[in-house]
Amino acid sequence: MRTYAPADTPAVLERLLEEPSLARGVVHHEVIPARDALHASMPTWLDERIVSGLASRGIERLYSHQAEAIEAIHAGEDVVVVTPTASGKTLCYALPALQAIAEDPSARALFLFPTKALGQDQVAEFGELAASAGLSMITSTYDGDTPAPIRSTVRAAGQVVVTNPDMLHSAILPHHTKWFQLFEQLKIIVIDELHTYRGVFGSHVANVLRRLLRICAHYGSRPIIVCCSATIGNPSELAAMLTGRPARLIDRNGAPAGERHVLLVDPPVMEPASGARGSAATLAQRWALPFLRAGRQTIVFGRSRVAVEILLTGLREALRESYGPRSRVRGYRGGYLPTERRAIERGLREGEILGVVATNALELGVDIGRLDVAILAGYPGSVAATWQQIGRAGRRLGTSVAVLVASGAPVDQYVIHHPEFLLESTPEEARLDPDNLHVLLAHLRAATFELPFDPGEVFGPAPADDLLAFLAEERHVRQASDGRWYWSSENFPASEISLRSAAPENVVIIDTTPDRPRVLGEVDLFSAQVLVHERAIYIHESIQYYVDRLEWHERKAYVHRVDVDHYTYANRAVTLKPLEVFAEAPATGGRRRHGEVMVASLVTLFKKLKFVTDENVGWGPIDLPELELQTTAYWLTADAARDHWRRDDLDVALLGAGRALQTIAAVLLMVDPRDLGLVTQVRSPHAEEPTIYLYEAVPGGIGLSERLWQRHEELLAGAAELIASCGCDAGCPACTGPRLEPSIDARSLALRLLAELGAPAGARIPVAAAPTTAAHP
Amino acid sequence: MIEAPTTERDRLARRLERFRRAGAGPGAVGDPLPHRRHAARELADRLADAVGGEVVHGERGLHVRVERESVDLPIDRSQLADLPGQPPPDRPLVCLDTETTGLATAAGTVAFLIGIGRWVGDRFRVVQLLLPDHGQEGVLLDELARHIPPDSWLVTYNGRGFDWPLLVTRYRLARRPAPEHAGHLDLLPIVRRLFRHRMADARLGSVERDLLGVIRHDDVDGWEIPGRYLGFLRGGPAQPLAAVVRHNDEDVRSLGRLLVHLERRLGDPDARAIAPRGDLAGLARAFRRDHRFEEAIACLDAALAGRPDELGSGPAVVATQTLAPPPTSRPAEDEPWWSPRRRPDFGGRPVRSSGIGWDRRAAFGRPWDEVRIAVDRAHLLRRSGRTEAALEAWEALACGPGRAAIVAAIEAAKLREHRLADPLGALASVERGLTLADRRRALGMPEPALEADLRHRWRRLRRRGPGQSASRADRTGPASASSVGRSNGAGQSNIAALRPASR
Repeated sequence: MRTYAPADTPAVLERLLEEPSLARGVVHHEVIPARDALHASMPTWLDERIVSGLASRGIERLYSHQAEAIEAIHAGEDVVVVTPTASGKTLCYALPALQAIAEDPSARALFLFPTKALGQDQVAEFGELAASAGLSMITSTYDGDTPAPIRSTVRAAGQVVVTNPDMLHSAILPHHTKWFQLFEQLKIIVIDELHTYRGVFGSHVANVLRRLLRICAHYGSRPIIVCCSATIGNPSELAAMLTGRPARLIDRNGAPAGERHVLLVDPPVMEPASGARGSAATLAQRWALPFLRAGRQTIVFGRSRVAVEILLTGLREALRESYGPRSRVRGYRGGYLPTERRAIERGLREGEILGVVATNALELGVDIGRLDVAILAGYPGSVAATWQQIGRAGRRLGTSVAVLVASGAPVDQYVIHHPEFLLESTPEEARLDPDNLHVLLAHLRAATFELPFDPGEVFGPAPADDLLAFLAEERHVRQASDGRWYWSSENFPASEISLRSAAPENVVIIDTTPDRPRVLGEVDLFSAQVLVHERAIYIHESIQYYVDRLEWHERKAYVHRVDVDHYTYANRAVTLKPLEVFAEAPATGGRRRHGEVMVASLVTLFKKLKFVTDENVGWGPIDLPELELQTTAYWLTADAARDHWRRDDLDVALLGAGRALQTIAAVLLMVDPRDLGLVTQVRSPHAEEPTIYLYEAVPGGIGLSERLWQRHEELLAGAAELIASCGCDAGCPACTGPRLEPSIDARSLALRLLAELGAPAGARIPVAAAPTTAAHP
Repeated sequence: MIEAPTTERDRLARRLERFRRAGAGPGAVGDPLPHRRHAARELADRLADAVGGEVVHGERGLHVRVERESVDLPIDRSQLADLPGQPPPDRPLVCLDTETTGLATAAGTVAFLIGIGRWVGDRFRVVQLLLPDHGQEGVLLDELARHIPPDSWLVTYNGRGFDWPLLVTRYRLARRPAPEHAGHLDLLPIVRRLFRHRMADARLGSVERDLLGVIRHDDVDGWEIPGRYLGFLRGGPAQPLAAVVRHNDEDVRSLGRLLVHLERRLGDPDARAIAPRGDLAGLARAFRRDHRFEEAIACLDAALAGRPDELGSGPAVVATQTLAPPPTSRPAEDEPWWSPRRRPDFGGRPVRSSGIGWDRRAAFGRPWDEVRIAVDRAHLLRRSGRTEAALEAWEALACGPGRAAIVAAIEAAKLREHRLADPLGALASVERGLTLADRRRALGMPEPALEADLRHRWRRLRRRGPGQSASRADRTGPASASSVGRSNGAGQSNIAALRPASR
């Protein structure tokens, strides 16, 4: 196979599939046929200058989804556009914004991107569009890097303001009087990469948008909201949760696509006893090399910075040995300089760079053109991210190939053996809870700072008076004699809110690597116990840091940069007490509930685990006080199992089934498995029933548990399926969790319990199952 | 949804109760307080009582007004107007100072006390407007607008950066136009330009002490003010606000006093002669900004003629308020920069307890010595077109000490080459500069940037003019560069780097 003659993609793929050692690992080979473009004509109301500008860029007709979106926006509807990577989403919101400003130069548009880099890309692209239409338009980014003298110009004259939620929250909204030109004339708000606004971050951003819309109302504007999202299970619902307004879903993709092969690959089992598998990185390299040698543009995704460097070194080494195009393979990850990144993006677009090894930094809408092959070393954690990465390969004409190489992690194994999960539907959904009390109260403070509240004024779900009265007890707001609520503290509330964490009290992480220490980020107390305890490896933007010191009472963790091959995992000992049941319903063999719980957590030791193999390479003690966390949880009781099970067996079965449920829940709701905690009780103190709890690790919860309660059936079926299809003989880390006592068959016990709880034996996840709608008060 | 179902409300109440018990609230200010509304009328009465003002009832609401006894403070407006950047003599002046509920000029900061000072004939009169309750802000703003005639000039201290933008924000929130005015004189930049050489910082308190000879006793610290007012709004005592109102009154008066000080000390060209030389040098720079070069040069001539060590001999120190123990210093200001407890900086009025305006090094590190004034003067002479005089000034400086002599040699060379068409003379100046630079290098104070400039000039002039001074050829080569590296061992160069550039 040492052939460096250029070959086309199908030929290389065919050759690879004839190679037995590689073909053996292919679990599934899906061919997605080519699709023709669906066109629609330009709307007649579109300004002539814009039409001719598009024509000069070679765009004579629109794709059907683009036309549908801009017609809906023209009609004054909020829309949410869900189409794959590189299907021309930008035009869906750029054209309405251009049109609005072409009609009335005093009109304003606000574009929100989750990161600064994306915003800058979009400014450039939007500027080109406007220029080709011959419209002089002031498009400006407003972020932390914007110099002070330019800021006042942006405030007064920026017609299209491009920013991010953090900047909107801390710099624009509290100073809204300086932005009155924007807020008086705001016609359109664009929220790109909608799927990134989930969890705690999404809950915060939903409240930032509440504040934004409240200020718009004060200045008399009612902007249309356009959301764009990668493929997820519940885009309309997510848009509605985030913006508080219903949106029209536009998901019929009209962009053309070439034929695409998707291969799901499983590394061979190295040790049948423990179920340990070969490295995903090594296998990914073997798949990537022949394509590179044949001159096909290839992107390889690694899951961390370290993985990227390992992959890159391996590929270059292999290409050097065989005199291949070694210098045309580059790395791309957080930590590279912006200029370096821009050069790599340009090189990829122009074909000068043949291969790139990247982290998910390249997952979001950075423009690198279209490549031939995408190889994913490890499941990226969600179907949406997987498709975004796969979407990097895909020519409009000709064949492209995507290879997903699984690692040994439970989620990876589950996904790879359930191709329909990845290919047929998107059961996973993004959740957020804008009414999380911690988050809601924090933003209510900021909102009061911005504008006084009228009595009875609604903020979020209901009139805010009760909440404001609560804040008045703490003296941050007061009700004046005119009945309105005013901010009455000298604090600046926006500065006390971090959009990335729920609780107000956080541990600040300080990086001591540079000469002048800098704040790396914050984590809430509960997460701090397991993430930044002393001697932990803390990973931030896929860079590793070693925690030198944690000053618990000062709420500060001091870290420095390291480059090691392991991560740390802290064991949490948890006791749980239900406080209030929000909803309950009978289930087969027991009951399911969700509600508020009190979790007491004590962290006493941590393990060092190797990347890729998760092999245990050491441990250490942790000395931290116990913490209490009020959060929400989903729990199910196995009433029937109480009487006829042996207590020991039941203990193992509950834990095994719980682990599987936790894995499936993380997959379905697009969260890190660490965001959901597991507690099992053979006899719960309050109900005396065997109980499995899944609680949210975020104070107050972000709505996951309610959704788990609703998707109970899917969860059980998935858990049973995960265990049943696992290749191990009596339970392993990939299904029922690490085996504590080798003599006990955790696998069959957990399966038996799940069957008693109503899991259909051997059934697949009911794809696209309608969520069990429950009568929720 | 106007009325949420009772069950939801009950659940919320229970959740809030648990929230409260868990102490998860966003950090209470003091003990929890039972929520209670106070009538605006009651608040206004208490406030007026405490600060010695009267409640003014208008059609749309009420505010509290304090009239201060007017004082004799004559000012010669035409003389003041002669100074750069000052208002024309026929414009009414409105001295303005606000007290606010915070330092951020963002939407949630309220100006609750506005002091307004005006001249009525030779007498200076202060009126203060107070906000008795949040709901009455519109009334207060309307009242303030009545005190600012459209042809008036505002006089403030840091008002461009803080007070006025804050008031504009308040007007905008109340959906009213901010009052028109003809101009805005912010005294902070003027104080910086003229007096920074002899003050530790630019706080108004320091200005009073160092320039006006006024020392306040029993004054309230700026950081305490928001707390006192907010405490009152929440039902606390109004008495602590009396000191705040006095503080604001003194601030407004100081604006008037400062204008008079400027007019008397610097406005009259004859009186100027006895002003400290640093003041005159600063004034010269102010004139220069207005392109009034002759007056600027006159200032510098006066400065060079004056006594070198004279500092401001202001009026005798006057104590304006009763004696009291020194105010306690502000806590938690020593927090490190990354500490979450550290007050975030959102611009606006700088935090008063840290020396604002410039750091101490800048204040004390660059005194207006004779050389620095002479350098300014030479620059001015050139800009005003008096080339011969400028050349003379630079030549004189080139015979003087220090780094300035090298700079002067370069400047002289520039004038000779570009203005006087005298390349040979320019070359001589450059060579003089190179000699000076060599001397400084020998003393361990090399000036690589100046040397590079000189070498560049020397090469160019040599190419233009007839060949001479071949002995200098060695300077052009890299040999001299490498000798730099040799002669400056690590220790030496560090010492050189630590030295301030000026001397």
